[in-house]
Amino acid sequence: MSEAAAENLGQGTTWNASALLQLLYLGGFGVLGLGFILWALAQWNEGGAGDAADYATGTVTLAMSQEPPQLDSTRSTDQVSIAVLGHVMEGLLRYDQDDQLVGGVAERWEIGETSATFWLRSDARWSNGDPVTAHDFVFAWRKALEPANVSEYAFILYGIRNAEAVNRGEQPLEALGARAVGDRQLEVEFARPLPYFDKLTAFCTFNPVHEAFYESTAGAYGADADKLLYNGPFVIDQWIHGASLRLKKNPNYWDADRIRLNVIDYAYITSDPLATINLFKDGKVALTSLNAENLTDAMQQRWKIHRFADGSVFYLGLNHRPGRPTSNYHLRKALQAVHDPGELVYKVLKLPGNVPTNSLFPVWLKGVRGSFRQEYPAPKHHPDDARGRELLARALAELGLAELPPLVMLIGDTPTSKKQAEYYQNLFKRKLGIDIKIDAQIFKQRLAKMTSGDYDIVAAGWGPDYDDAMTFADLFTSWNENNRGRYANPVLDAAVDVARSSNDPQTRMDAIAKVQKIIYEDVVVLTQFERGSVYVAHPRLRGVVRRSVGTDPDYTNAWIAPVGG
Amino acid sequence: MTTNALSFEPVRVEREVETISRPSLSYWQDAWLRLKANTRAIVSLYLVIGLLLFTVFGPWLWQVDSSAQDLDQISAPPGAERAVTVVDEYRPWQGATATPVAGAGGELQAPASLSVAGDATTRAVRLQWSAAPDAGGYRIYRSIFDTAPDGALGLPLGDVLDPTTVSFEDRLDLQPLTYHYSVVTLDDRGREATGYTSVPVEVTRVITAAQAHAKGLIDSADVVRPGDVLKLQMHPLGTDYLGRDMLARLMHGARVSLFIGIVAPFAFVLVGIFYGSVAGFMGGRVDQLLMRFADFVVALPFLLFMILFRILFNVQPGDNSILPMMVAMVVLSWPAVARLVRGQILQIREEGYIGASRLLGAKTNYLVLRHMIPNTMGVILVTLTFAVPSAIFTEAFLSFIGMGVAPPTPSWGSMCNEGLKTMLTTPHELIFPAAFISITVLAFNLLGDGLRDALDARMRATE
Repeated sequence: MSEAAAENLGQGTTWNASALLQLLYLGGFGVLGLGFILWALAQWNEGGAGDAADYATGTVTLAMSQEPPQLDSTRSTDQVSIAVLGHVMEGLLRYDQDDQLVGGVAERWEIGETSATFWLRSDARWSNGDPVTAHDFVFAWRKALEPANVSEYAFILYGIRNAEAVNRGEQPLEALGARAVGDRQLEVEFARPLPYFDKLTAFCTFNPVHEAFYESTAGAYGADADKLLYNGPFVIDQWIHGASLRLKKNPNYWDADRIRLNVIDYAYITSDPLATINLFKDGKVALTSLNAENLTDAMQQRWKIHRFADGSVFYLGLNHRPGRPTSNYHLRKALQAVHDPGELVYKVLKLPGNVPTNSLFPVWLKGVRGSFRQEYPAPKHHPDDARGRELLARALAELGLAELPPLVMLIGDTPTSKKQAEYYQNLFKRKLGIDIKIDAQIFKQRLAKMTSGDYDIVAAGWGPDYDDAMTFADLFTSWNENNRGRYANPVLDAAVDVARSSNDPQTRMDAIAKVQKIIYEDVVVLTQFERGSVYVAHPRLRGVVRRSVGTDPDYTNAWIAPVGG
Repeated sequence: MTTNALSFEPVRVEREVETISRPSLSYWQDAWLRLKANTRAIVSLYLVIGLLLFTVFGPWLWQVDSSAQDLDQISAPPGAERAVTVVDEYRPWQGATATPVAGAGGELQAPASLSVAGDATTRAVRLQWSAAPDAGGYRIYRSIFDTAPDGALGLPLGDVLDPTTVSFEDRLDLQPLTYHYSVVTLDDRGREATGYTSVPVEVTRVITAAQAHAKGLIDSADVVRPGDVLKLQMHPLGTDYLGRDMLARLMHGARVSLFIGIVAPFAFVLVGIFYGSVAGFMGGRVDQLLMRFADFVVALPFLLFMILFRILFNVQPGDNSILPMMVAMVVLSWPAVARLVRGQILQIREEGYIGASRLLGAKTNYLVLRHMIPNTMGVILVTLTFAVPSAIFTEAFLSFIGMGVAPPTPSWGSMCNEGLKTMLTTPHELIFPAAFISITVLAFNLLGDGLRDALDARMRATE
């Protein structure tokens, strides 16, 4: 037995020796081969990338959070699509680098009490060389209102005469109060006084669409780089779906001399903010937002950190549909009584730039003369736990319940919204004994659930579409499709009606102040904060404009400084 | 000499050659002896026992609510300073104003002086500065690093767009550290001037008496005066990103992780033993049929079934999906065990002692239960100990991708997921749950390794 074992052992070692040698050879080749593949991959990846902001070629490399879901400007609703459209399209008017409204396709314009006239410039062209005419605008606006087109932003055109009726299908498209007088003059009639119509025309739903081209795409307009016709400073040069999007300077743009970048290359499409920050760290992209977790790192890297308010207001939306617990006034009041926006912003979100607020109307909105919020201060709010419990007891008595069933809180799927939701889950449990179930969904699904009313509380936000308080004021009117909680209050509706049908700034702002008060007093939503964003940019990338209303970030005025410049 | 019966004496048979010198050992006693000789396995065994005690009795000893949020100690590492000074209630600050100064033209200057008004506390730092000539506004920066070498000012906290206001109140996430505040002058279009004025500020941690009562730092009978120093709650392993106690979360997380890690493997190993022994014992066509079905189950994708079971069990958003996770594991993981057991049974069926037993009239039940399953026990135990870590990993993975537990229930996997985001700034949030997963998995693996050596009957023969 022991002998046999020894023999085996002996055989084993000889076998081992030759095998070891073979293994070494094979392993060596393996390692070499793998190394070569990695090296080749690295080379291929870096092929001609150079700097994220390359002076010689005028190329800026960036990352986007997702690929634009809808580039048909009559139907776009999301920020990514609107940002891309802001670079490749141009409306009647646009915002310049100082956020002033200047002429785009329109050379000059007049806004009257009941109508507006735009005179189009003669050198505005589509990327196929055709001139941009007044007919293109009329076609686009009719398209946006066409019931079959189901544009979610159709309501933004409702200020134009008959627009609402056209959108409902009660009147033919031709009844719309927008008319082309020749190729270069556009006449618009209003349904009601519309003192901010000039600001509206900078929004993407008002962009022109080339009719013949639109029809030639057979329903695929905007789905691909060659399924779009451009009239803006850039054109989409290459669009690899899900991977990258490259914009190239448009030689047919009437003001091409103003544009100093040659290529805007969205080389990375990733929804992970951390990945984008790492790309910036590696010099692969020229601009990235930061999140609260990365601020210390950014300070350590000694980056120049920028901050800007993106203009949007965030809030906890409440479901007002009958039968939902949150339709009870006292329950909403109880939630409000224990809610402390300051604690959320300063201790949980921890991102400079977010400003806690008790008003739906952000500080940058203009009032009668100066700032709206200085003229009409936000409601005062002091968290009071004891009062919250009292109100909850009243709510339970009214609802006829001994204990409240768990409330469903619908949130987005980002790390920040999860953190926020866990904070609220603990806050409402600790202070009121209310159980919260967190329902994290991707954006589309969250929107679908908001629309169908499948929630009690939803973490939501609203960004302005145009530079007037009305963009926030009409959000909770009974007729607004974006009033997802289906809040209905005739007093609020009446106030908004006053504000939108008057031309007198004082009357309008008084009415909007009334809306501000109702939203707090009746707890339509629990306002949280005005969102700020913190970002870092390549030190030689200059002239990028961040703004709350309009294209953001806007690279149309950007340029790259030479090394050492 | 006569011989008779008395002359004879019976021969005494000495049977001592047959005596067993050492006490006889059963299979299990022998296995235990050999396991004891294996230090690695014994250490692992103690670790496993320790983990079970930690899970079962831990929450009784450390009675901290795993979902309570201590917002004063967010992401605090273990052993962080806990001293806190009592102060009066917060009073809003009016700020400071100054008449704008007209400059002599030329480049914009930074304010000449920058100072702190009142005490710099974690509740608020109030800055004021002297008006700069021609200023259109000011921008305030804060950094935890010195601004001196290259003028990296850190975080932009806010803008004051009114030249008459020369003060700013910072309340953003203040920690008891030294901060470097800077003020930069803005022109009337909001563009920054080049210079800056900087001041280092040491911040002390404060709390009001009411907050201290609410947090249970002092009894309601205690009277504290401003200036008294208290200690915040202790968190032996620090806190996470919402100020929740890591130790309590690890204990509660272990309940989920170990529950799934132990119950699921037990269940699917039992199913596998039953299925495998039936197939192995029956043999022939039945065996073929059963094992082809097992092959079919192996081919089913786990994640897809996990999602299907979530729907089947009507898991509402916000509910834990521990049950569907376990069912999916049991339904899909048994074939590996079944194959192993079947192989063993097939082999044992042909052994001589089985034939002998059969000749003696043993029934099928007796054969299977008395001879076959005990002889496959070694293999089964080893499979079980290796299945535990893989189940823990599966749970960790599913919670990591958000399909496992729902907040605020912690599990080690979801804690790793959360800790990953702040890996660079507060590594303890990732290290502790990751270490617990690693240690548990390693302990079960080494124990399994030791058990395999100890239970292997052939190794017994060679000694």
